[in-house]
Amino acid sequence: MSTLLTYISVNNGKIKRSSLEVLSRCTQEANKLGFKSAALIIDENATQYSSQLGSYGLTKVYTVEGPSFKNHLNTPVLKALSAVMNRVKPKVMAFASTEGSKDILGALAANQGIPALPDMSEFEVTDTGVKGKRPVMAAKIISNVEAEGDSVIISVRSGSYDLINLPSEPEVESVEVDVGEDETKSILKEIITASGDRVDLSEADVVVAAGRGVKDEEGQNLISELARLLNAGIGASRALTESGAYDPSLQIGQTGKVVSPQLYIAVGISGAIQHVAGITNSKVIVAINKDPDAPIFDIADYGIVGDLYKVLPPFIEELKKIKGE
Amino acid sequence: MKFYVCIKQVPDVSAPLQIKDGQLIQDNDRMILNAYDASAVEEALVLTEKHGGEVEVVLIGPEKASETIRKALAMGAHRGTHILITEKQKIDSAVYARILASYFSDKEYDFIACGKQAQDTDSGLTGSMLAEHLKIPYVTNAVGLDYENHHLTVKRQGDIGQEMIELPAPGVVTCSNDMNEPRIPSLKGIMQSKRKEVNTLTPDELGMKMEDVEIKTRILGFEEKPGRKPGKKLEGDPDEIARKTAHLLDEEAGVL
Repeated sequence: MSTLLTYISVNNGKIKRSSLEVLSRCTQEANKLGFKSAALIIDENATQYSSQLGSYGLTKVYTVEGPSFKNHLNTPVLKALSAVMNRVKPKVMAFASTEGSKDILGALAANQGIPALPDMSEFEVTDTGVKGKRPVMAAKIISNVEAEGDSVIISVRSGSYDLINLPSEPEVESVEVDVGEDETKSILKEIITASGDRVDLSEADVVVAAGRGVKDEEGQNLISELARLLNAGIGASRALTESGAYDPSLQIGQTGKVVSPQLYIAVGISGAIQHVAGITNSKVIVAINKDPDAPIFDIADYGIVGDLYKVLPPFIEELKKIKGE
Repeated sequence: MKFYVCIKQVPDVSAPLQIKDGQLIQDNDRMILNAYDASAVEEALVLTEKHGGEVEVVLIGPEKASETIRKALAMGAHRGTHILITEKQKIDSAVYARILASYFSDKEYDFIACGKQAQDTDSGLTGSMLAEHLKIPYVTNAVGLDYENHHLTVKRQGDIGQEMIELPAPGVVTCSNDMNEPRIPSLKGIMQSKRKEVNTLTPDELGMKMEDVEIKTRILGFEEKPGRKPGKKLEGDPDEIARKTAHLLDEEAGVL
């Protein structure tokens, strides 16, 4: 029986919600078509995460573990993925779209000689492969695409599917992969992480994002206060990551992260298409901008036309009252 | 140091887009050098200016795309190669990578750089596919590059932070547009570019029979994105509209 195999991304000791979204969709597709849904975890301590996969209707969890997978580096991850794919021969190998999966998708497709459809917003498994939708041209339009093959690699944008609750007791199978030190030709020297214990932006339920209108420390303090109050991740437009006001890893948009929160608050962001490309999966968008013609208002559910320095203090105060702070 | 930079001509995504009968109508006058590739060219120029060496750009595209090679040459790249395909040949990332791999199979180089993705398709597959075909190491999504003793130190934007990776030569690096501000060609650069050598080839001459190439991914058509509609726009006294919005988020949207 054919298998739809989902790669489970683990970052900082946590399974990424976006990979569970993809897993949920794969299980639904597998159940519809009479295939098996299985998961794959590649991590230093892969096995310990398998117990967290009991409610996604899985028949099997494959694990590859070892010190080589402590941090992401493409060579060992590719080796592990190729080894598991050669063994399982999945009809679909599915990933959540993350910086980690973007790093290996092309190489894996070339290695396996099979097609890849990256960054999809919808997909279905067909007799001949996979078809679905991808946002293209800075997410301004949708391209209907299909891939033909006995095995197809896909990645899916976060926020595209809801989680399911389908209890099962998957069998856990550990796969031994010899990474071979000498073949790991690029070397990871260090990881510079954004300071502090921040909320993971691509997974956050609420995101507060700062743009060019946030001009100084006073503005940044208002952003931080609002984010703290809503337990939100802080993001920024390209202008503010380039100026150094915010860490580059906080950039949202075509170049940076794609976010899909319940609530997105754009503060002093005009709404250039490259930024909008990363936020359209948000459920509710609030925009605060003093230019009434700013394009961000075209996509905002709630648009506040006003100076953020005058709007944010009463906004924060009123939210505190609502939240009972 | 020999740097190759793979570049692509793409439609300007900030131009208005039109879809007719499922097809994308592109304004042929608004074709540009892919912004991510422009950053790769800039970075290769900066490194070779500092450490010595040469930058050669390689483009796969129809005849019209030669203007994009000239753009890169005007920025300062030393020479160009144009691998000619027709407007009608709709190739995917896999075929791009195959053609590039055939081209590079007999070349000597330290590094191949390219944009981390094309602005039109946003696929981001070609760079790592090429590295896999050439069996050389690669790093994607570079936001900073430095060169020392035959290796690049690449600052890569990863999921949980910036990864500092040592990439030995020969290797492939794909560039984000966060790493630099690509230079605007000077008048002198533009004049000089006209005299620079551009070598034109066909996939056939590289041993790739295009009619036999199997394209496994296809675009069936384009459609408008189910757009977000503007919702409520509040104007007036900042204090009043701020407080009102807070209550709307709580009572109407239910997202607090």
